[in-house]
Order: sequence, then structure tokens, then C-alpha cells
Amino acid sequence: MSKKVSISKYIAYLFLTVLCVIWVIPVVFGITTSFRSQTEVVSSGFRLFPKEWIFENYVAILENTSTAPILRWLFNSVFIAVSHTLLVIVIISLTGYGYSRMNFKGRDTLFFTLLGISFFPSVVNIIPSYKIIDAFGWVNTSWAMIIPGLAGMGNIFLVRQFMKGIPGELDESARVDGAGDFRIYFSIILPLIKPVLIVCGLFSFVGSWNDFLWPVIVYTDVDKMPITAGLLLLQDIYGNYRMIGQLMGSAMLAIIPTLLLFAFAQKYFIQSINLNSGIKG
Amino acid sequence: MNKKSFAPFFFVGPHLILFLIFILIPTIYGIYASFTQWNLMNDPVWIGLANYKTILFDSSSTFHTQFFNGLKNTLLFVVISVPMLIVIPLLVAVALEHKQVKLKGVIQSIIYIPGLISISAAALIWLLIFNKQLGITGNVFHSQVAWAATQPYAWIIIFVITVWGGVGGNMIIYRASIAGVSKELYEAAEIDGAGSVRRFFSITLPSINFPLIYTFVMTTAGAFNVFGQPLMMTDGGPRQSTHVLMMYIRQLAFGQGESIAGMASAMAVLLGLVILVISTLQYYVMNRNTR
Repeated sequence: MSKKVSISKYIAYLFLTVLCVIWVIPVVFGITTSFRSQTEVVSSGFRLFPKEWIFENYVAILENTSTAPILRWLFNSVFIAVSHTLLVIVIISLTGYGYSRMNFKGRDTLFFTLLGISFFPSVVNIIPSYKIIDAFGWVNTSWAMIIPGLAGMGNIFLVRQFMKGIPGELDESARVDGAGDFRIYFSIILPLIKPVLIVCGLFSFVGSWNDFLWPVIVYTDVDKMPITAGLLLLQDIYGNYRMIGQLMGSAMLAIIPTLLLFAFAQKYFIQSINLNSGIKG
Repeated sequence: MNKKSFAPFFFVGPHLILFLIFILIPTIYGIYASFTQWNLMNDPVWIGLANYKTILFDSSSTFHTQFFNGLKNTLLFVVISVPMLIVIPLLVAVALEHKQVKLKGVIQSIIYIPGLISISAAALIWLLIFNKQLGITGNVFHSQVAWAATQPYAWIIIFVITVWGGVGGNMIIYRASIAGVSKELYEAAEIDGAGSVRRFFSITLPSINFPLIYTFVMTTAGAFNVFGQPLMMTDGGPRQSTHVLMMYIRQLAFGQGESIAGMASAMAVLLGLVILVISTLQYYVMNRNTR
């Protein structure tokens, strides 16, 4: 019996180790390459770590403000992701409150109708969405990425579920004391739903930061792009094997913010699933 | 009284307006546009089913060739990537449940992190790894293959980056679900002498059938929208053999030259229908089989 357990332990370890090595290598290789000189990059032979760590690649990235304005792109991405996330939190908490705590005619019908419509594959609305963004004059502006995503139903569904778990007596007693809906929302519900708002906020930030299809469609102005769309322009560099170190440096700068977020809020990312009672199983 | 009737609108109203403008109207307009000739600039001109006829039946048209090539490549991507994105995370979750495995948190984080990396940054790194002259495959394994330009390697690098980035999310879901399965079931099975394989198939799998259905449906729907991986890794090549439907749709509507947004909308509607039909089928078939 105990022998059997140890065999399965080794199989589990072997599998996980192989996977972890494959999973880590690209990130490590990307980081170390961003500190390699161009001569070392093109010289043959494989070294996981650079012969000599150099910072020129990052200096060059910071200095380049015309063809590949990485800093500008990073700033755009930060502005977009932060604004989007803050607005998401406002919208989903207000809307979740409306659909779970307030009584108005047709409330649940309306909610489930919207939810049903939102399941329709989004590929169909991409082209008209562009046209709408264009009509608002938002093409090549940050609004194009901040606002449309606020219409989604997924987070509102989560917040509504979470709010349903909060006992109604809390609002009742506040109401008896003369508190209106806005007071109840702001001083009773909002503090209680913080965990779900943090999770939704984190995922909105990461989703917005990493969005690719939409920014590739909406931005043609190099100065206005977020970093994900900007990096697509850099892909051509591979054609002539120049500036590989800078290329990796740019990729690293693009992934640092989400990784930092994960480092500080790991438990929220990992536990997020517990909030979704629907798929807990 | 008056104030009370206005209050709900204050709470749900802003989102309702956003929903109308950015989901409902564009969806309806997208379907409408598929029956028109439209260049995104002028008003769409109603042409009935002409776009659909061209795409589906006119074998001399490039749109017909593009659509079926794109659909074929998209289906290939779905059929190969989805099983990997279900089975590998499940294996990881099960391996991490093993009582004697240490460092669970670290391993979980390592597997999860690629999911936080944007496809464009990830692709730049993987392209370097698979680069014939500069990468790991060439220098360590002495492979002389130009990965992105030769089949089946072009598909392989697309699947590698997809699995690398996609395993973490489902793994978290499976881990949480498996952790929720009653420990007594496992103990009882162990007393009855059931081995770990047997326990997996007769306890773990049936206990997490809802998360399995959920991830299967969502992963499949997501895979049909594949765009970033082939665009970044192979740009649809070699000879359009990794050119997926989403890339054609974007190209027709927003590519160089005059926009053919009506035709692109028709392709989008067809892709949307495929996703809808397959999601529904998956849900019903799996739900029935697990009862």
C-alpha cells in the first residue's frame, strides 16, 4: 500500500516538474535576453544566463519615443486599465444592487433577458461596435477601450449572486431608521461586497491590459495605442534579427504590471472561483 | 413616491444604457449588416441573402474559399486545443491534490502566471524560443526547422503558446472543485481497496461534472474566437494554413483597401451560429450523460 502511494507521488512530481520547467523557461529566457547584448544574442550556443548583464536595451527602449514609444504605450495601457477597472467597480456594484436589493416591476425578467442576450457570441457585434465608437469620435482614443467593456453582464451576475447571500434584515433595519437606497448601498452593502469587487476589479484590470483583438482594430495611431497592440508592430523586427534584446525588454515591461498585481493579490486570483457558487460543483 | 420610482433607474440605468449601446444595438446591427453591402463609410445597402450565397455556395469567389479555409483552420484549432485545455489542467489539479506533493502553492502560481501575460508579449518570447538561429530549439536541440513557416510546426507553436497560456484558468477551477469533494468518499473508497486511477474515475470525475461542463463549453466558445495566437505566431501562414476565421473577418472589415464589412458581418454571423449551436449541443449532451 505505502509503496503504491510513493509511486504515484513520483509520477505526480515528475509530471508537475516537467510542466513547471516548460512553463518557466519562456519567462526566464525572455528576462535574461532583455539583459543580453546584441552580439551575444546572435552568437551561437545556448546560455540560460547572459555572459554579461547589460542595461543598454532598457535605456534604448526608454529613449525611443518615435517608432516604438514603449513608455507612451505603457502609460496608455495604465490609463486605460485603471480607468476601466474603477468604472467597472462603480457600475457593477450599482447595477448588482439594483437587480438584487431593489424592487421594481419586471426586475428579474429584465436581468435574465440581458443575461441571455449577453450569451450571444460577441463576434457578431465587433464591426458595428467599431462604427459606434467611430460615431462617438472615440477611434484612436482611450475611451474606445474604457467604455464598451462596461456593458458586460458576467461581473454583474457575480455581484448579484454575492449580494443575495447578504441577509435582507440589514437593509430592513436601516430602512426603518430612515435610510434611503443610496445610503444602504453606500454604507451597508458596499463594505460587505468588497471581496467580490476586488476580484472583479483584478480580472477587469488584467482583461483590459491584455485585450488584443479590439485594440488591434481600433488603434491606427501609434501614439494612442496600448502596449498589446504596440507589440504587434514590433513583430517585424524578427525579420532582420536586430534589437532582439530591446524586443524582449519591451515584452517584459508589458507583462510586469499584471505579474505585480498577481504577486500582491494572489489569494484573490486563486480564490476567485469560490465566489462563483454557480460553478463550485 | 416619485423619488422611489426613479431610484431603480439610478442604479440599473447607467448599465442598461451601456448595454443597449455596446451590446444590444451592435448585435442586431451586426446581423442586419450581414444582409447588406457595406463599406463602413456609407449607409449599408440591403442585398438580402447575397453575402451568404456567395460565402456558402459560390466556389469561384475568394470569400467562399476564405470562409471555408478559415472555418477549417478554426475547427482544427478547436478540436486539438480544447481537449488539451481540459485534460492537462485536470491532471495538474489531480497531481496537486496528492497528499505527499509539497510546494503546491508555488507550482500552482507557476502554472497560472502565463494566463496573465498578453498574447502579444507571450508570442514575442515564444517566437524567440522557436527562432531557428537565436532560439532554444535551434541552439539546444539543433532543430533546423523554420517553425512558423513549415507545417505541421506552425500549428505546433500555436498550440504550445495556447496551452501554455490557457491551462492555468481551468486548473484553478478544477482544484477548487476537487477540494470541495467530500474527503469521506475518498477514504471509503480507499478502505474498499480502490486505487488512485479508480478513485479518479469513479469519485473525482462524477463529483465535478458541473465545472467540467462549464469549462468545456466556455473553453470551446473561446477557442472558436481564436485570433491572437495565429496572428502573432504565424500570421496565418504558411500559405494560409493557419489563417483562422476571425483573421479573415478582421481583414475584410478593417484591412487595407475598401472595407467589405457586409461580407465580414455575414462570416461573423455564421461563426456566431456555429458557436451557439455547438455550445448548446455540448451543454445538453453532457448534462444528459451525467445524470
